[in-house]
Amino acid sequence: MERIAITGIGVVSPSGIGKRQFWANIKNGRSFIKKITRFDASKYPAHIAGQIDDLEKYSHISERLLKKIDAFSHMALVASELALQDAGIDIKNEDPSLVGIFLGNAIGGWLYAETELRDLYLEGREGVSPYMASAWFPAAPQGQVSIYYGIKGFSKTVVSDRASSLMALGYARKVLYKNKLNMILAGGMEAPVTPYALLCCNTYGALSTHNDDPQAAYRPFDKQRSGFVIGEGAGIVVMENIQRAKKRGANILGYISGYGFSCDGIDRINPASDGKELARAINMALSDAGINPRDIDYISLDGLAVDLWDNSEINALELVFGADLKKIPVSCPKSMFGNLLGASGVLDMIIAFLSMEHNLVPPTLNLDTPVLNGINYVAKEAREYKVAKALIISRGRGGINSALVVEKP
Amino acid sequence: MDTKIKVKEILASLLKVKIEELKDDISLQGSIGVDSTEMVESVIALEKSFGVKLNIKEITKGSTINDIANNIQSKLAQ
Repeated sequence: MERIAITGIGVVSPSGIGKRQFWANIKNGRSFIKKITRFDASKYPAHIAGQIDDLEKYSHISERLLKKIDAFSHMALVASELALQDAGIDIKNEDPSLVGIFLGNAIGGWLYAETELRDLYLEGREGVSPYMASAWFPAAPQGQVSIYYGIKGFSKTVVSDRASSLMALGYARKVLYKNKLNMILAGGMEAPVTPYALLCCNTYGALSTHNDDPQAAYRPFDKQRSGFVIGEGAGIVVMENIQRAKKRGANILGYISGYGFSCDGIDRINPASDGKELARAINMALSDAGINPRDIDYISLDGLAVDLWDNSEINALELVFGADLKKIPVSCPKSMFGNLLGASGVLDMIIAFLSMEHNLVPPTLNLDTPVLNGINYVAKEAREYKVAKALIISRGRGGINSALVVEKP
Repeated sequence: MDTKIKVKEILASLLKVKIEELKDDISLQGSIGVDSTEMVESVIALEKSFGVKLNIKEITKGSTINDIANNIQSKLAQ
């Protein structure tokens, strides 16, 4: 399938809001994992996260709208605005029937839902905000962004656990091409730093409980790994077909050229240990992009920091890349700001584009002693390296596999 | 307090708009672009505040501040 252009990046993350601040922190390997301060989380087994404290400073959303929406919709609105600004697009000048939106989310808007459910039991049905029905569900941000900008071309939310946003990007590319849209806002958002959402994440059993040293807690592929750390935020990009982007003189930040997917289908939580289905998804993405494994020069890892997940990911890479794997730099930069669950994939893609722009592969934090030797990990510090084609891997519970190939313009 | 002034204060606070934006004789939709969910929220708030039962079919997006105040006034007088 044809490549599509990325012409604008909007990022809202614990490592910064806006791509400049975000990249400055990512390239310097700074950790933003800390103890949760939004509420008293001290009784939870894991009570650390990548938390955003200053979203209001970057937001132009009215109080009237804010009271109707959950934090994850607010993050998506801010990320959308940043992406459009970055792309130099005033959406009022666009034909709304040729603009689409395609987002990914895993768990919905629990900050809003928890408060209203509490009121339901304390005050009865009249105590519940009428906005509850439209605020909490995973497609709410897609709805809010489409209303805010009057988007009428296409509107969809993918709910596929942590793979949601990468899948949204993959499908958005297909829709942009097939439906002949001018542009799509695509990406994802997640806001799991709430009492109930954190409880659910804890129940999953894969969170690191290294609460005493938050910045050292998330250690993908390290011998001392003990699970992942959640983070909140949103990443939204502007997608355009290449001809239109060039015609309007857009600054093309990169291309999405291949997408692949598969599922393991063996367990409701765990992936298959052999990595064969993930390997199939990666091969599908490479084939879709029309390239060979040896053309890839950076791999962005899913990196859950859980033995079975990390090992099966490496198994898949060995199946696809064989002996060439040693030559390709691999990293898991989400170790700096937390795993944004349904929004993790799009942030990985944004980092890949910024890596291409700056010829710098960001580090995996806390990777002191790799479990497997012979893998070309970029650990501790960023490494200067020219990246022209990158592979992004994003996976979800139950063995959901997605892979995206992106290219430098 | 005058019913109309109280209605305006409740709606301005609830809908996060300036009290001057709420015109006496222009529909809520016309003056501040109120949507259907905001109407549900507004009716609940007015019911609680005035201690009356309002009919959501009588108070709609097309109602003006005058309509709402008169409706509440008539309920209070019953």
